[in-house]
Amino acid sequence: MSTGTESLVGDLGRHIPALSSTLRPRPDDELREWGGKRLVRGKRVLDLGCGDGRFALGVAPFAVRVDGLDPDIEGIAAAKKNARGAGVRNVRFAVGAAQHLPYPDGDFDVVILSWTL
Amino acid sequence: MVDALREVHRVLAPGGVLIDARPDSRVAAYAVRQKARGFQLFGVVNTSAAELVNDRASDRAIARVVREGLFKRRRRGRFWHRVPFDSLAALRQYLWEHLRFVRRAKWVVDTATRNRYSNEKFVIRRAVRYELLEARPTK
Repeated sequence: MSTGTESLVGDLGRHIPALSSTLRPRPDDELREWGGKRLVRGKRVLDLGCGDGRFALGVAPFAVRVDGLDPDIEGIAAAKKNARGAGVRNVRFAVGAAQHLPYPDGDFDVVILSWTL
Repeated sequence: MVDALREVHRVLAPGGVLIDARPDSRVAAYAVRQKARGFQLFGVVNTSAAELVNDRASDRAIARVVREGLFKRRRRGRFWHRVPFDSLAALRQYLWEHLRFVRRAKWVVDTATRNRYSNEKFVIRRAVRYELLEARPTK
């Protein structure tokens, strides 16, 4: 994480670098435990603290639109690369802090804090 | 954290859902050897003191925004996740580098047993908790 973003970030995303996402449950498994695909099907989803986009890309096939936000510049770069590689078109990634979300009021149906808070 | 949750409430449509999922530090993790059938417990892996503090702060933040009427608790649960390792050395290296756990497991088997099976497959079995919260309309 760069020094420039550190002051904005607070606690979110501090301890979990993007690469460690390979050691987390698969998105399908996590989604099933939470209640299944119906939670995100046809919804506007925000993955807060998205890291390398592991979860955002996992739910993209079911959601109308997925936004991923993370303070880690390298994580977002990896997420964009992963999205291009997977040919996913309904996902957008951006660098930012959870304390200042760059979205209008009521813009999402589901917000996911997966191993973030 | 509370600021972030208030922002989450702002960007959620009324009735929208916040899903909070994270490792459950209230339950110990376990270092186990994968056998042909089943598992053998090798050790207990505790959460680091710093992470326990962080987790409690997260719990308090959630409780606060619920008290403030921003969210309503809908459902919660827990499941187990297995992190695989090719050897005991790899598992120990992970513990050494991973901030969430203490650096050394509390072994429940003796040194000879650890040495005998050190090149076999291991997993860390950890609990993951989740909670679904519904965004309430702003009054």
